[in-house]
Order: sequence, then C-alpha cells, then structure tokens
Amino acid sequence: MKKALALILAVLMLLTAASFAVAEEGQTLTVVAWDAETTPYLKAEKEAFEATHPGVTIEYIDVASQDYATKTGTMLGGGDTSDVFMVKEITDMLNWQAAGYEEPLNSYIEASGYDLSGFAGIESNYAVDGEQYALPFRSDFWVLFYNKDLFDAAGVEYPTNDMTWEQYAELAKKMTSDGVYGTHYHTWLSAVVNWDVCDGVNTLIDGNYDDLAYFYELYQDLEDAGACQSYNDLKAAGLHYSAAFENGNVAMLPMGYWFVSTMIGAIKDGTCSFNWGIVSVPHKEDVAAGSSFGNLTGAMINAKSEHKDLAWEYISWLAGEEGSIATATTGTRPAWVSEAVASTMASADGFPTDDASKAALVPVYVGIEIPASEHSSEISTVLNEEHSLIMTREYSIEEGIAEMNERVAEILG
Amino acid sequence: MAQTDNRLLKRRKTRYERKKELVAYSFIAPNFIGFAVFTLLPVLFSIFLSFVKWKGGAFSTMEWVGLGNYAEIFKTAKVAEKGLGYLFTKVDLGIALKNTLFYTLITVPLTLICAVALALALNRAVKGAVGFRTVFFFPYVASMVAICVCWRFMMMKDGPINQLIMAVGINYNKSWTADSAMAIWSIILVSVWRNMGYYMVIYLAALQGVPQDLYEAATMDGANKWQQFCHVTLPQLSPTTFFASTMLIISCFKIYDVVKIMTEGGPGRATKMLVTYIYDEAFSNFNYGIASAIAMVLLVIVLIFTLIQFSMEDKYANN
Amino acid sequence: MTQLALNKNAGVRRSTLSVVLKALLYVVLIALALFTLIPFVWMISASLKLDREVFSYPIRWIPETFHWENYSLIWSKVPLITYFKNTATIALLVTFIQTLTSSFAAYAFAKLRFRGRNTLFICYVATIAVPWQTYMLPQFILMRSMGLYDTLWAIVVLQSFSAFGVFLMRQFYQGIPTELCEAARIDGLSEYGIWARIMLPLSKAAIATLVIFTFVGTWNDYMGPMIYLTRDVNKTIQVGLQRFIQENSSDYHLIMAVSVCSLLPVSVVFLALQKYFIQGIATTGLKG
Repeated sequence: MKKALALILAVLMLLTAASFAVAEEGQTLTVVAWDAETTPYLKAEKEAFEATHPGVTIEYIDVASQDYATKTGTMLGGGDTSDVFMVKEITDMLNWQAAGYEEPLNSYIEASGYDLSGFAGIESNYAVDGEQYALPFRSDFWVLFYNKDLFDAAGVEYPTNDMTWEQYAELAKKMTSDGVYGTHYHTWLSAVVNWDVCDGVNTLIDGNYDDLAYFYELYQDLEDAGACQSYNDLKAAGLHYSAAFENGNVAMLPMGYWFVSTMIGAIKDGTCSFNWGIVSVPHKEDVAAGSSFGNLTGAMINAKSEHKDLAWEYISWLAGEEGSIATATTGTRPAWVSEAVASTMASADGFPTDDASKAALVPVYVGIEIPASEHSSEISTVLNEEHSLIMTREYSIEEGIAEMNERVAEILG
Repeated sequence: MAQTDNRLLKRRKTRYERKKELVAYSFIAPNFIGFAVFTLLPVLFSIFLSFVKWKGGAFSTMEWVGLGNYAEIFKTAKVAEKGLGYLFTKVDLGIALKNTLFYTLITVPLTLICAVALALALNRAVKGAVGFRTVFFFPYVASMVAICVCWRFMMMKDGPINQLIMAVGINYNKSWTADSAMAIWSIILVSVWRNMGYYMVIYLAALQGVPQDLYEAATMDGANKWQQFCHVTLPQLSPTTFFASTMLIISCFKIYDVVKIMTEGGPGRATKMLVTYIYDEAFSNFNYGIASAIAMVLLVIVLIFTLIQFSMEDKYANN
Repeated sequence: MTQLALNKNAGVRRSTLSVVLKALLYVVLIALALFTLIPFVWMISASLKLDREVFSYPIRWIPETFHWENYSLIWSKVPLITYFKNTATIALLVTFIQTLTSSFAAYAFAKLRFRGRNTLFICYVATIAVPWQTYMLPQFILMRSMGLYDTLWAIVVLQSFSAFGVFLMRQFYQGIPTELCEAARIDGLSEYGIWARIMLPLSKAAIATLVIFTFVGTWNDYMGPMIYLTRDVNKTIQVGLQRFIQENSSDYHLIMAVSVCSLLPVSVVFLALQKYFIQGIATTGLKG
C-alpha cells in the first residue's frame, strides 16, 4: 500500500515536471483571438503574413468565443503582455480604451504615412476624441442566405436583391411545406429586429423602441404559420444556426456575412451538399433596397506589449490591402474594400457564381448593430432580457416594448 | 517563599502556554499562508473595490466614491421616492435578491428532506443498497455543462418530462426554461437532483453513528417508529443538519453555472441571480466597483444566515 | 394459549404489512433511481446515435444501431489524452495538499486553544461566502505577478487552500470527544502525535468526504482553468469539453461521447472510495 502510494507520488511529480515546462520564445507575435483553431481566415492571414515577413511567427492564443469578453478582460486587467488583441465588440474596445489597455495609434499612422481611405470612414468607430485605438479588418453586414435546391424543388423563383419584408414573408410561407421551413431566425435580438437600424435614422441606443413592433409582428406571424422553427424549441435545443441551415430543410436564413465562409467550408468538407446563394436582406417600403446593418471586427495593440513596432506592422498589414486580400480568399468580408479586394471576394473558391450573389456584396448602406456609447452594454442587456420575454410570448409585443422604453430611459437618465 | 513559588509557577505556565500556542500556530500555518495569500488578500481587496469606481487597468484610474456604488445598485433615490415595492419589481438588485432568496428557501429544505428520506430508506437492510447509493450520488460527480444541456432538452415542450407529467394528467405543454413561472423551478429541480445524493451520503454516515441502544431504550419505553424518528433519529442528526444546511445555503446563494447554462437568467429577469448579476457587471460592463458592491450584499446576507446557524448550533451543544 | 395465538396472528399481520411496505419502498426507490438516471441514459444513448437522430421525436432511448465509432472519432478530434493528464495532475495534487493541510489546520481549530482562534476561523467562513467572480481579478493580478499564469500551478494553489476543507474537517473533528485527546496527552503523546495517531485514523470518513469533494470539484471546475490556462498543452478536460461544444455545436452525439468520457474518472474515484466513506464512519461512532 505504501509502496503503491510512493509510486503514485513519483509518477505525479514526473507528470508535473513535464507539464510545467515552458515553451521557448523566438521572434513571435502573440495574437489573442477567438476560435482560432476553427476560423479559416485567421489561418489564411497567418500564412500570408509569415510568408511576407520571414522570421516572424504569429502565435494565436485561442479563446472560446463565448468566454472572449471574460477572459480578455481578465487578461488585460491582470497586465498580460500579449501583443495584439482582436476586438470582437465595439463596446469592448471602448471599455478597454477607458481602462488604458490600448496603445494609441495616431503616432504610428503619421510616422508610416498609413492611408485610411480604404476604410471609407468606418474606422471612426474605433476612434475616441480623434485618436485611433484599433484598426478594423472585418466588416460583416447581414445578408439573406437561401437554399437553391429547395427553391428549385418547389418551383419557386429565387429571392431577389430587392424584396420588401412583406414579399419575404409571403415567400417564406410559400416555401413552407412538410418538413421544410420557409425561413430561420436565430434566437438573437439582432436576427429578429435589428433591421430597424437599416434606415440610417434609428439606432438601438436612442431609447425609443416603438419601431421594433413591426419586426416582432412579422416574426410572430411567421412563427404562427409554422414558417420557421419556434424560438422556444431553438433555445431549449441550443441549435446553432449553421446546423439548422446545413440540415437542408431551411429555405432562407438572414445571417451575417461571416456565414459565407462557414458555408464554403461546409460544402468543401462534405457537411452539406446543396446549392446556395445570397441576396441583400429585405427592406421596408420606405428604405432603399440593399440597406443592411453590421458589425466591425478589429485589432488593437496592447499598451503593455513589448513588440509594439512589430505589432503595428502586423495590424496595419492585416487591415490594409494585402491582409484584406488574404482575408477575402476565405469568403470573409474585410473592412478595407478596394477593387482588388472586391474581385477576390467574388472569386473566393466556393462563393456562389450567380450575379445576384455578387451584387449582394455591395450594400448601399450599413448601419451599426449597436453603436458604441457609454451605456451600450447596459442597454443591450436590457434589450436582450425584454427580447426573450417577447419571443417566449411571456409579454405581448406592446408590453415588452413599453418596458424597453421605460428601462432604457432610466439608464439614459 | 510561597509567593516566589507561585510566581515561578506562573512564569513556567506562561512559557508552557506560549509553547502550546506556537504548536497550534504550526498546525494552522501551512494552510493559512496559502489561504491568506490566494484567497483572503484578494477578498479584502474586493471589499475595498466596492467603494471605488474602477474599469480595470492601472490602479491609478480608480476613483473613490464611498457608498456611491451601493446607492447605485439599490437605486436609493428612486426607491425612496417610489417605495420598497419598486426595489423588488423594477431594480436589478431587488429582482436578483428576490430570485436568489426564493431559490434558496425552496432548494435547501427540499434537498435536505430528500436526502434524509433516501438515507433512511437505504439505511435499512435493503437489497442492492450500494447500487442505489451509487445511483443517487452519481449526479453529483457529473460535470454541469453536459448535464444541464441534457436537462434543458428534456424539459422542452414535447420533451420526456412534459410527456411524463401529461401522462399523470397534468396539462402543461410549454418549454420549462421559456416560461417565467417555471424557469426557476427547472433550476430548483436540477439543483435538488444534483445535490440530494451528496447529502444523502453524509446523512447515511451520520445515521450509522446513531447508537443502537438509544433505539432499544425507546422501544422499551413503547415508542413507535414515528416517535423514534422524531425523538431519537432527528436530534441525533442535528449536527449533520447544521453542517449540511450551512453548506447548502452558501452554495445556493452562489448559484451560477446551472442558471447560466439552463436559462441565462431569463426569460426576462425571471432567473436573474445575484451571482449572474455580478458576472454581468464585472465582465460585460467592466464595472468592478459595482460588481464588488453586489458581492458585499451577498456576503452580508450569507454571513447573517451562517451566524444564525452557528448560534443555534451553540445553543444545541449547550443543551 | 389464546394469548399466544393472538400474538402469532398479530405477528402474521405485521409481517404481511412489512412485506407490503418493503415492496412499496423498492418501487419508490427504483422509480427515483430511474428518474435520477434519465439524463445519463439520454447522454449515453445520444452518444451512440447519428447526429440527426439525437433530437428525433418520439424519443428513442435505445439507438437503432449502436455507433461505437463516435467514441473513436472524438479521440482524433480533440487531444483528450493531454486534457486528461492535465486534469488528473491538478486534481491529484490539489486533493493531496488540500486534505493534508486542512486536516492539520482543522485539528488546531477544533482541539487547541490559542489567541485569535475565533477571528481566524471567521475569516475562513466568511470567504466561503464570497463568490469567486468578485475577487477573480485581484487574484489574477497576484498570480500573474508571481509568474503562475498559464501554468498548472495556478489552479493548484487556487484550489488547494480553499476554506471549505478546513471548515468541513473542523466540523468533523468537533464531534470527536476531547477526552480522547486528553487521555493521549497524559500518555505522553505530542500534539503532532495525537493528530497522526488518533485524529487521522478516526477521521477516515471525513477525509474520504473531503477527497471526493475536492477531487470532483477540481475535476469539474471550468472557470478557473478557463481564466488561468491559455495554451493548449495546459488545458483541462472541462475547458476542452466546452471548446469541443463550441466548435461542434450541432454534433450532439459527439458532445455526449466526450461528456461520457469526462465522467468516467470521477465515477471511478467515487466507487473506489465509497466503501471508506460509509464504513469509516460506522467504526468511529462519529456523529457529525
């Protein structure tokens, strides 16, 4: 018994010694990103950067996307020295800036003569008081994905780049039959009502949510008609939208552009095997066709980084033309859009070849999902709570929206 | 002469006492040093944090706000104007407090009753007692992530649980986690299911420690089974009950993972708990000061509960 | 005679009653046991299905065909061995340190008199009540400055000195009669001797409780490893499981297969220890 114990202890010590050995460091740039293992564009960017910058290695620190805010917040708060952090939400970027984690970029931009014009102004979302704190390298707006095979089988015309929400709802109902859902709404607030900001006037932080009623009514009508899976079932099963669409029994899916690269990957590795396409999301009567909303993804330099110049070289490359082309090859939409980038996007291996899909690549207007403000994260907590009450039908649409108005008014003071 | 003797004795005694104290400290030191550095120090720091405004980052960005964080979470200005009802129906803290208290007050007795009942049943000469014991304990060792996903699915609209209760004749066909009234019960159910086996084993151990002659004496006095249970078993189990209920109350107040996976605090704020609230404030909004202030509210409540229990334990011990 | 017959009658009635009661007891126990096991049965059954069968209606508890290949599939998808090794290292070290130091400290709290005893103990109890999330950040800053970030040691020191162990052991030791210690003192045993020769052997049950509690708690801990361990070589099974769920969110069959694998080691520890758990207490006559 004692010998066995001693043996166990000895083995344990060995294991411990082996596990605690520290990796050696070379000319390495550490980049904190989410789901680095499974995200195709991160791989493409790493390869392209290392090819043009011999001797430099990009090491991703992989954080699960759902834990990204928690983990990065703790890392930065604890004085972590990783060189570059990907910025997932604009609100995170604001919080990080306020806490002094981010290296101001204006001096780098001036010194290197970096041309910001390729961003067409969206980089200002990452600026505070005229100082740039991060550069965007992805700009995803929402499009409507559809399953061409299902439309062909039903003998129904494909969706177009110019559809009103009424026409879309009609189409969804038409496509609904036994075992086939006309459309699919993921459980997020943004998937159901964020369309409200497409008009360029409304925002989700202005404190007035009366306009959302239109989209909630549209949704409930479709849910009642059985044209989409119910919110409650999706929540309970925790079904991912990619699984829902890849199953092949969903005709349409409004989703962010990032899903293009997922679909390309899914077709390639054989997860699913139907023809698909994208068109612009539907619009309200009084809003221009091709309007959408979206979100930015960026990269910032950690103020505590010990390789700031190299980090600048990396993020300026990443957000600029070369990096954008690398990003675009995987079907992901970069923030920097030049002609070269646009043609790379359209010719990405696996991207649908029809003209409507190509035309959908150029939206006429992209509103920001939730613009950055001092209260953005609190407001979004409130909106999500009320959203769940409306979606589960605990509250009527009117009750839910009244409470949104009331609670956000309180936050805004 | 006698006086000197006395003084000598006293001095020797103090030296002896001092040595005894040193021995006692040497027992405590290994654990206490680790505890003080890695737990106590950070906790004290978070008490301090509850009085400052801080978004993380350099310590120099802290701003002393005194009781400001507390005023903000209790919405004191609004509550003073609109009354206490407002606190518990509209304010995040009040709602989280109400939910957590409700959850704790139901879960603790329910778990203990189930645990005692199971322990009593298995303490008899039941065939396969070891098997049953293992089965009931099993949920406790399972990881929450996998298990909660599983439960959420089983409580779906047409899931097995609803099929079961429909079979018994209760007409209910909603998804539990999507129903404000039932969501908290789904969390209670999972908690009881998970914890009852653990406390059952503790009770089982305690039951085996009850001296057999007490029962014999009670039988001689003509006590029936129920009377034996009330007058022998229960009092003998009370130290265990004190321990179990203290641990349970504390863990109930700190409920987090089940809620996170099952309901995410929803629908609406129906299952928002104190710790989910703390978590949101700390990691979505980076308001470390506010988060710490909520934690202090939690700490005070738990301390009150614990002190009440300790005083009851003392009273019991003195009797 | 009549008296005897009556007694016999009563005896018969009583035994039929007790048979009925006993049968009822079994029915209730079995029903409860089934209820307890439902999620596990579902888990195992899902782990042997194809992914589209997992959520099919009506539920099929026994899969049409058993897809054992799911289990071999997951080994190629995630570095399970690394995860297991890391988790086992942490769990064993933590359990060892925790049990040793807390039973040591608990002896002093329960049986020795010294200045500051109550204050110190209240410190311990109070910190049990503080949720970890609130002092996570200061703790993280501390760990980093000590160079423990992204090493397994971070989790070891984080878990090893929790107040819970001391609290639990003290409660148990309090139930052991003080006269035992006094008698030993008169026999010339030192305090260390009393701890080693009297308290430890008497507290097998408590130690088993603590070992199970600590081992299971460390094994299933998610937040700690998530925050402190970053590189893949350092990740633990729970972080790995969560990552697997994220990356394969719809592959419920594989998720369940990984879950089943993550469950096995803890079950073994429990099954191995439960004998001590019950017997230990029965022999000591311990009440707490």
